[in-house]
Formats: sequence, structure tokens, C-alpha cells
Amino acid sequence: MEKQASVSDSPVLRKPRTFGGNLGSRQESGDSLDSPTGSHVEWCKQLIAATISSQISATVPPEVAPRDSKTGWKTEYRVSRRPNLRDSGEEHGCQWDSASQLPLPAGALKEAQKLVAMDELPLVPGESVKFTAKDVTYICPFTGAVTGTLTLTDYKLYFISLEREPPFVLDVNLGAISRLESFGVQNHGENMRGLEIVCKDMRSPRFLYKQEEQNNEELETLITQYAFPLSNDLPLFAFQYKEAYPVDGWKVYDPAAEYKRQGLPNESWTISKINSNYEVCDTYPALLVIPTSFKDDDLKRVASFRAKHRIPVLSWIHPETQATIVRCSQPLVGPSDRRCKDDERYLQTIMDANAQSHKLTIFDARQLSVADSNKSKDGGYESENIYPNVELNFLDIPNIHVMRESLRKLKDVVYPTIDELHWHSGIDTTHWLEYIRLLLAGAVRIADKVESSKSSVVVHCSDGWDRTAQLTSLAMLMLDSHYRTLRGFQTLLEKEWISFGHKFTSRVGHGDKNHANSERSPLFVQFVDCVWQMMRQFPSAFEFNELFLITILDHLYSCLFGTFLYNSEQERMEKEVQSKTVSLWSYVNSQLEEFTNPFYVDYENQVLYPLASLRHLELWVGYYVRWNPHMRPQMPVHQNLKELQFLRAELQKKVEELQREASSSRSISSSSEHASSPSHGGTPLHTAV
Amino acid sequence: MEHIRTPKVEQVKLLDRFSNKTTTGTLHLTATHLIFVESNVSGAHEIWILHHHIASVEKLSLTTTGCPLLIQCRNFRVVHFVVPRERDCHDIYSSLLHLLRPESYDELYAFSYNPKQNEQQREEGWQLLDLTAEFERMGLPCDQWQLTDVNRDYKVCETYPRDLYVPITASKPIIVGSSKFRSKGRFPVLTYFYQEKKAAVCRCSQPLSGFSARCLEDEHMLQAISRANHNSRFVYVMDTRPKLNALANRAAGKGYENEDNYSNIRFQFVGIENIHVMRASLQKLLEVVGTRALSVTDYLAGLESSGWLRHVKAIVDAAIFLTKAVTVEGASVLVHCSDGWDRTAQVCSLGALLMDPYYRTLKGFMVLIEKDWISFGHKFADRCDQLDGDPREVSPVFTQFLDCVWQLMEQFPQDFEFSEWFLIQLHEHVHSCQFGNFLGNSQRQREELQLKERTYSLWAHLFSERHHCLNPLYSLSSAEKHPVLEPLTQPWNFRFWRNMYHQFDRSMHPRQSVLKHTLALKESNVQLEATVHALKMKLQKLGVSTSPLELLSRPWEHGPPSRPRSLILGAPLSRKEAQQEEEEEEVLGEEALEDGPDGSGGERTAEGSSATENGYGELQDSFGSKSEPAVVSLELGVARMTC
Repeated sequence: MEKQASVSDSPVLRKPRTFGGNLGSRQESGDSLDSPTGSHVEWCKQLIAATISSQISATVPPEVAPRDSKTGWKTEYRVSRRPNLRDSGEEHGCQWDSASQLPLPAGALKEAQKLVAMDELPLVPGESVKFTAKDVTYICPFTGAVTGTLTLTDYKLYFISLEREPPFVLDVNLGAISRLESFGVQNHGENMRGLEIVCKDMRSPRFLYKQEEQNNEELETLITQYAFPLSNDLPLFAFQYKEAYPVDGWKVYDPAAEYKRQGLPNESWTISKINSNYEVCDTYPALLVIPTSFKDDDLKRVASFRAKHRIPVLSWIHPETQATIVRCSQPLVGPSDRRCKDDERYLQTIMDANAQSHKLTIFDARQLSVADSNKSKDGGYESENIYPNVELNFLDIPNIHVMRESLRKLKDVVYPTIDELHWHSGIDTTHWLEYIRLLLAGAVRIADKVESSKSSVVVHCSDGWDRTAQLTSLAMLMLDSHYRTLRGFQTLLEKEWISFGHKFTSRVGHGDKNHANSERSPLFVQFVDCVWQMMRQFPSAFEFNELFLITILDHLYSCLFGTFLYNSEQERMEKEVQSKTVSLWSYVNSQLEEFTNPFYVDYENQVLYPLASLRHLELWVGYYVRWNPHMRPQMPVHQNLKELQFLRAELQKKVEELQREASSSRSISSSSEHASSPSHGGTPLHTAV
Repeated sequence: MEHIRTPKVEQVKLLDRFSNKTTTGTLHLTATHLIFVESNVSGAHEIWILHHHIASVEKLSLTTTGCPLLIQCRNFRVVHFVVPRERDCHDIYSSLLHLLRPESYDELYAFSYNPKQNEQQREEGWQLLDLTAEFERMGLPCDQWQLTDVNRDYKVCETYPRDLYVPITASKPIIVGSSKFRSKGRFPVLTYFYQEKKAAVCRCSQPLSGFSARCLEDEHMLQAISRANHNSRFVYVMDTRPKLNALANRAAGKGYENEDNYSNIRFQFVGIENIHVMRASLQKLLEVVGTRALSVTDYLAGLESSGWLRHVKAIVDAAIFLTKAVTVEGASVLVHCSDGWDRTAQVCSLGALLMDPYYRTLKGFMVLIEKDWISFGHKFADRCDQLDGDPREVSPVFTQFLDCVWQLMEQFPQDFEFSEWFLIQLHEHVHSCQFGNFLGNSQRQREELQLKERTYSLWAHLFSERHHCLNPLYSLSSAEKHPVLEPLTQPWNFRFWRNMYHQFDRSMHPRQSVLKHTLALKESNVQLEATVHALKMKLQKLGVSTSPLELLSRPWEHGPPSRPRSLILGAPLSRKEAQQEEEEEEVLGEEALEDGPDGSGGERTAEGSSATENGYGELQDSFGSKSEPAVVSLELGVARMTC
């Protein structure tokens, strides 16, 4: 806020300029903007570029409302979208319009030009309008400036302009806002204010509005207040959201049931309640799976030897070999090479629980050099000399700060304008794909160790809640086909990420204005990107589709659902998240069809080893570049397949019907069998006959 | 045969290009092929390499295990043999050197290839495509355009076909005069007619304008083209070269049209680089992606600096410009480059592909190739290095065109009747010299070689294999709704075509394919339909009345009678698979059709465990045999045809 003040105090005034005739009618938007901040010079350049490009190609489609906006008006969404599916399926490029995503019919709007957009504003239950500003100009980097009404609610910013046909709509969830930047601009003797909304989801919309008119100065204050509720003593919107879904998403994950599915407890492993009051480790879940033979007191000594008391606990067990994936934090070896007999014995017990192997493999996600420097800060790693039968591997994955920087650079490459000539080298300089490769390669090594070498593995990084969660969950996704189903994936996230204390609040910065906090990092985004890369390599191995992944990422930021709020299970219990907020899975599981991949074939017990070679990795343009109107949504091949499946279902029904008819009409079933034999009956149905 | 000194070498090692895997086998050298047969494995893996496909043979320095022989093929296969004895290696090396570059057309494989067809079948094969009928389909001749016999004897332009379409107002003297003012006599003629707007796409070569020369006949010719279209007052003249190149050509007495001299033209440079740049670009690209241990940076930077994708984009951009001018503005367009047989062919055919859904069908695409490439004299013999010729004339112009088509197919998966496999087959046979279609540089030369009498047509062969060449996602309704394609050209829309450039590197391919899944589904639907039908028949015989089959709601299926479902989709995915079905009598569920796991029992299976096994990739997955991924169906194709 101090920054804003300083900017507005010293507006640098320049003589007004006009860009191109096309914009003449709404000059106020395109005129001289300047500010002490260098980035705004850049902004001007982009504005010019955008204006020019809008003149060249008038057919550029309007920016489309983000997907998450559908959440609130689910009913409209389903109604308006469903019949559209087939039609929009055939649409090409520029004909893609946003009207289909709007809850209001375009025709009605045409007549009601004068109507205040607020009347049609889609609100989710519990959402209320806080402020409405008219004559606000949105400076679209793709299609030029457009003037309309900006509405602030406690959940989102909603901009609508009736200047264009169909109406131009942009909405931004307040939760996605990382920071606000504002500055004064002089235009035709009028004081204008510019507001840049820097978002966590790879875009930064910019607005211009008149300073004196109405109470517009309030706008900025209010946006700040509602965008960062926690910094302003306001509740997160999730606690106000009142949608009732037919399915209760909080019931998706039941740790006991999930462990039971894995065959636990068994003779070597037990489900312990030692942490039921979060006494042993406050960032772990209440239920932990630990070796049966290990006493609670000894366990507490192990806890004191592990960073944040995050002891090695079982995450996944191989249904046949009993090889396990165990996760933990780094051992507190320290510069003096401390030892902990109990920790050594504990790992030995974990190894002994798996009769197939006489080795225990430890994967330290960090680089050796980083692990070494951690050692001087009281952390460290398991020395092969001290721990018998242990094989230690470093996976060389950089830390959260490197990842944050990488994604920041990626945003510069993809938003708002793209340097076509240097697209590949631009991506290369971000190193984003390289880190994706490291993660996937690391997870493949872990999965391969468990599956092929039948050896138990221990995975940790420093605290065991970032890279560890990424690696274990990816490895589990490769090893266990259950996690590749819609429900299974939800379980995986609930388990490995949410219950095991990935610090979502810190990493995402929910409701917090401190955008420069070094705790923030897009590790979960990176994980979802890895899942997407796997989906590309195995298009029929996952029950869910790309929309599902993008929806998850949108609601990672949106604060609409309680799912990704807070840092640990304990915190969530204290804040009564389950009773006071709605789960994202309630929303998802109420309309599963939207998120289902029609190509899915359930191969039980199939292990996937994605190729972690960079030749097979690609930038996820469907997510990172989705704000660019030239980003065509996925071609409706899926639709084609859905039709085929529908046809098959109908044919199967027909066959069934006919067979029933045949058998009832005194004909012998053998004759119908005979009839079908020439075609070798390509359906499961036939085997049943 | 006199060149073959050692027809067979045993204990030869084959090194995999991207892994450390080696296989041992026997190398056979025949008059037409180099064959590697993997030893002591049942269902042995065989590699057949046609001599015409070999681009280069290299003998590397001796190692402890033997003498390495590196063979690079035009279909992007790279094989690395290690021959135990240096003498054998040298024999094969020198034999190959003689065999791989024939000096006369008679030595080409097409003249000895015999697919056991009789004379009548062969003739029918050559009559499959009829360009006169194609021009009729476009609505020609019409009141503004007519067929001219000026080139009946190849006297005006020897690299053009006999039948040419020109404006009705263009008299013979104008044509002849214009042709004298055009490089290689390639005067402006019609190649595509957009009936809806009466706009024509014409092609020619550069004018011999130098710095100031004019030619009234040529100016008249362009005026005639302009007048033939009442929708627009001007003709676009697209020079597909970069301006700099065109300027340089002026010094050699060639150049481009001066807008001051031609009334009613709008001149436009498009900036596609020449054949030498393209050759170097692809070479660079292949070098980059062929590196074994490739870092992320090397890959991305290499992809960019090779410029290949940028060049592909330039061609697509040009085609989009052409399409917009014709379909939106309704203006006629004249396209040329230097000689009008490389870039011009690329842009004209790609533009037609965007404009006309017919060219996106299997037969339509064949017609397009026949028209814009073969008949208009793309120099296949020179560009594909069929005979021992000038290496500077060799260039992957046609490959690049196929690449452009593939990029479009990626963007519009439902709009093409043919599959990626078809494009790869085309590429294979442009270089194989197994069929007569692509031999020689011009129609005139092909007639002199009596190809129709002495060789077989590729089109007939591809038609006989059409069930492999079809795209299961093709939807006619899509073409009806949006006949004109509007591709996007942002950089992420252009990808490296792995299935082409790495088609033989099995380890490079992903393990699952959407395409295959769809094929399996379609197959199962056809079978279900057959079952329904059979049951109905049975019931009818029993005297039970049933509701007619048509009751089945299939609103999206306006399938035309020309595409009988049963014929295409009912056919087994491959012969091998068909055999298996018969032998094993297995009931094919969805899972059984997929590769890898059988889905039966609780056995754990792995996909893509190491970088070396399984999955020849989408191609193999979708069209090849399922239990023997080792047999590459490309080779199957060749083997079947030769034996």
C-alpha cells in the first residue's frame, strides 16, 4: 500500500497521445500512461502493440471467462453448456466465442444495453456485491481496450462490457490475486488511475478508471481488503460459501478405509493412534502407519531425531511384495554427525518388514551439496556407513525458491505477449520443463525400485512436505492404478498432500497480502503439471481429464472450497474446516461426467513408467497459456469418442433386448449364439451369453 | 548383381540408436534390399532396407568388436551395424555404394517390382485418378476458363502437363508470349478454382523482368486472369520468396512483377526460404534430435535454431494468406516462386487443402498430389535424389509439405479422412522408387519412360490398403460445418513430428494411443451391429417381428454411401491380428485389443518400463500387430510386396 501511495503522489504527466483511429471512440483508455515504475513503460508498449494487433485482426475472439467462474452457477452452466457441447465441438479457431460460457443469453443483452450489468451478475450462494464501478476500461493485451462495468464481490472481480458482441466478460477470483499495483495517469486533463492485478494463475489484467468520479478511490481499498481478507481481519470466502451439493466431498477420504484398501494393518504394519492429538508431530495426520513391533516410546525418540518430528511412516505398500514407500523429513544429524540408535533400528525394522529385499533405499530429493549445507544447520542425511544395508540416492531437485523463480519467468514468457521467434528458447530459459523432468525421473526411479527391485524406499527432502509429497504421490500414481481414477486421485491428494501437511496456506498465500513472502512456491502446480505430462503419455490410463486438473488448480487459489486451506490437519480441525466449508470434491463429484476421460480403460495393477525424457515433455499450454485467445481449447476428439461409446452402449442394449426376445420366443439360445459367432462377438456381453 | 560380392554375413551386431541395446543377426544383401535378420529368436525381428532408401553409407573406424557400418536412410532410419570381419564390411560397403545410386532410370526398383497383378489390374491402377474429372469437379471448363491445347506436345512448356486451364480471353499468342517472359516457360495457369466465389488460384514461375523488362503479353495474361473473376478488381500476386532473394534474381534477368506495369495486381512477398536453406534446416534438426544424451537446453535451443518449425509455419502462413484472399475476399491469386515447382507447389496445394474438404479425403489428397506436385512438374527425381545427380538439387520440399499437412491434422483431428500413417507411407514411397508415380521430373519425362506400361501405381496399392490409411476420428459433419480450415499459427501449434522423423526409433514413442483406442471402439461397434443384424435375421426366421434397425438414434451419422462401414472398419487391424483371432478364437474385449496387459487376472503389468522395449508407438499400436511389436509394419508392407 505504501507503494501505491508513493506512485499516486507523483504522477508523471506527459502530453497526451492518441493511438490509431480504431480506438478513437474510447481514447481515454489508450492514452499516455506513465509512472515511475519501469514496468509501466512496458505496459504502454504492450498497449500500443495490442491496439495495433486489434486493428489488424478484428476477428480475434474476446477473452473468455475463466473456468472457475462456472462453479457458482453450476445449474446454468450445465444447462447452457450441455446442448452446446456438440456444436461447439465443431467450432474452429476464431469462431470460438465466450457467449456459450455466459449465463445470460446474448440476445437479451442486446436489447437491454442500458441495463446495469450487475443485475445479471452471476453470484454463488453466500456471495455479495461490495462495490460497482462504471466506465472502467479493461486494457486487454490481446484485443485492445474495452470499457464496461467492474463489480467487486467478496469472492471475485467481475468485469462486463457491452461494447462488444457478444458481451465481453472477464472475471478474476480474488483468491487468485497475488498483488495490486496502482498509479496515476493523466489523460486529456483528467486524472485516471491504473490498476494492475497481478494474479497467481499466470495473468495480470489491467484496468483504468477515472479518479474523481463517484467513489472510485474506494475501489482500490476494497479490492485490497477482500483480496487479502486475512490481512484485513476478514474471513476467507470459503466460510461464507453456502452452496449445497448432493454429494459430500469431505467423505471422499477416510484414512482407515484407504489403508484397508492397501491391505493394512498387516503383521508388520499397524495403524497407530500415537499422533491422534497431534502430539508427536503437529504437521502429520492423526492416523499413521508404522511398524508393528516398534514401541511408542522408542518412536518418540525417533521423532526427536527427525526435522519437525516428521518420523518415517508408510505411505504405500505393494500389494504383492510388501515393499513400501515410506516418507519422512531429514534426520537431524548435524555437523557433529549425531546418531540415533532408535532411528537406525527403526529403518532396519522398515527394511525387515519386506522379506523380498535386504536393502533399504533412501531417496533424498535434494542435491548432495544442499544436503551437506543442511548438515551444518543441524539437518542432514542418513550416512551409508552408519545405517546398515541402506542405499542413499540424491535426486538433485532444487528447492522451492528455484521453482518459484522458474514459474515467474514462465509467466513472462507466456503472458501477455509471446515472442514467436524465441518461443522454445524462451521456455528453455525458465528451466520449468527441466524441473518437471527431474521430478518425473525421480518418481520413476522410486517406482522402479519398489516394483522391480522389490525394495522398500524412504523418501525425504528437508522437511518432507514439499518435494517429498511430489515424489511419493507421483510414484504412487505410477504404481497404483486406483489413484488414476477420479476418486482415487482425490484420495491421493487428500492423503499425500493435505493430510501430510503440505503447507498450502504458506505456499499459496491464501488471503495474505504479503506477496513477496519467500514461503510461497508453486509446488502443487508443478505436481499437477507432472500428472498432465503422464496423461499425455498414457491417454487411456487416467479416469479424469485435463479439465479436472485445471479445475483443481483454479480452486487451489480460489478459496471457494475448504479443501486446500491451511497448512496441516491439526489446523483444519481447529478451524472446523469440514463443518464450515464445502469440499472441492463435493463440486467435482456432483458432476463427474464433466471430468471423465472417455478414453479411460481400467487396467488394474498396471504400472506406468512415463518417459522422463525431455523429448516427451511439453509445455502445458492448455493451462499456462489459456488466457491467450489464440489458445484453442482441446479439439473435441473426446466428443467423437463419447458418441462412439454411446453408440456402443445402445447397440449392446439392442443386442441384449434381441437376445432376450430370442430366448423367450421358444428359440433355443444356442441358435443366437450361433448367429453371433461369425463376428467373434466383440463385446464383453457375449461372454456372458 | 555383379556388384554383390558377399551376399550374406553372419554374427552382425545391430546397435540401437538411443539405448545400449544390441541385437545379433545375419545380414543379407540382395539386388534390391539389405536385410537384417535377428538370429535365434522365434518370430525374428527383420529389417528390410531398400537400396533406394539409403542416403549414405559410412564405414567408421575399426573397433575391438568389429567394423562399424553406419547407414542413413531417406526415410529417417539410421542403422548402425558392427560387422565382425573388416573384409566383409568392406565388401558390403562397396557393394552398397554401387547399388544405392543407380545411374539410369532402368535400374530403379519400379521396373523390376512385380506385385503379382495382371495387366488389367495394373491399367486400372493407373486410371484410378483422373485429373480431367478433377477439373470438372471444380466446375471447369466454365464461361470464364477454358482448356487450352497449346501445350499438347509440350512445346510451350516442357515441365507442365498437356492439359492446362487458362482464362477464355487469353489467346494463344498471349500464352506463348507470356511463357517466353517466364522462367522455364511456366506461364500462369489455373490450378484450383473456388467455385463459390469464382476465384482462381493460378501458378507460374518468376517473370524475366530483370530491372526494367516488360512483356505486354504477360501483362495481358494477368489482366485476363483478373477479368475472369468479377468479384474482385485485382489479382493478388504472391511471390513466395523472401524479398531479398527476389531482388537478387533481378540481377540475373529474372525477378518479380512491377506493380506499375501490371494494372490490377496486388503484389505480396511471403518469405519462404529456398531449397538449400530447407535442406540445411532439416539436417540440423535431425542432428539435434538424433543426439543420444540430449539436455533440455540442447533440445529446445536446437529445435529453435534449426528453424524447421519456423519454416513450416511460414508455409502454413502463406497458405492461410492464399485461403483468406480466395475465400473471404473472393480474389484470384497468382502464386509463384523462382521456377514455380517447389514453394509454389507447397503453397498452392496446402491452400487448396485448407479451402476444399474434398482434398482432405483419402482420394482427394491423392488427386491433389497428382495435380499440384506430379503433373505440374515438381522435380521428384532431383529433389529426392532418385538417380546419381547433383546433391545441390536434393531438398526435402515434399517432406516439408507433408509436415505442414501433419501439423494441420494435429490441429484438426476430425477433418482429415486419412491418417498420419498414410502420410508416412507416401513419404516412404516417394523415395522407394518402387512405384512409377514419382519417378522422373515431369509428365513429359514420365511418358518417355513409359511408366504406365512398365510400372505399377502407388495409388492403387494405397487404395488396397486403405483400411490402414483411414483416420478413425474423421467426421464428415465437421467438414460440412466448416469447409474452410483456419489454422492457428502460434508457436505451440507447431510440433516436432516424432512419428515421421523417429519412425524407426521405437524407444522414442509413447505407449498408448488415443487413435488406437478409437479404432478398437469402432471395431467393436461394427461387430455389435453385425450381431444385432444376425439376431434380427434369426428372429425374423422364427417369425418374430422386430423393430427396424434404423430406430437406432445416430444423429451424427450422415455417412454417405461411398464409405461402407463394414468394408473399412470391419476389416481386421492387420493381417497378423486376423490370423490370431482365428487361431485363438479369443473373444476380443476392449482390453484384449489394447496392447500390453490382457486385463485378465491380477498380474501386475508395466508399461514403458525401460526405454527399449515395447510400443513401436502410435503407428504400430494402431495399425500393426499387437503381440509382436518387434515387427514393424512398414517393413511388413515392403516384405509382403516383394515376396
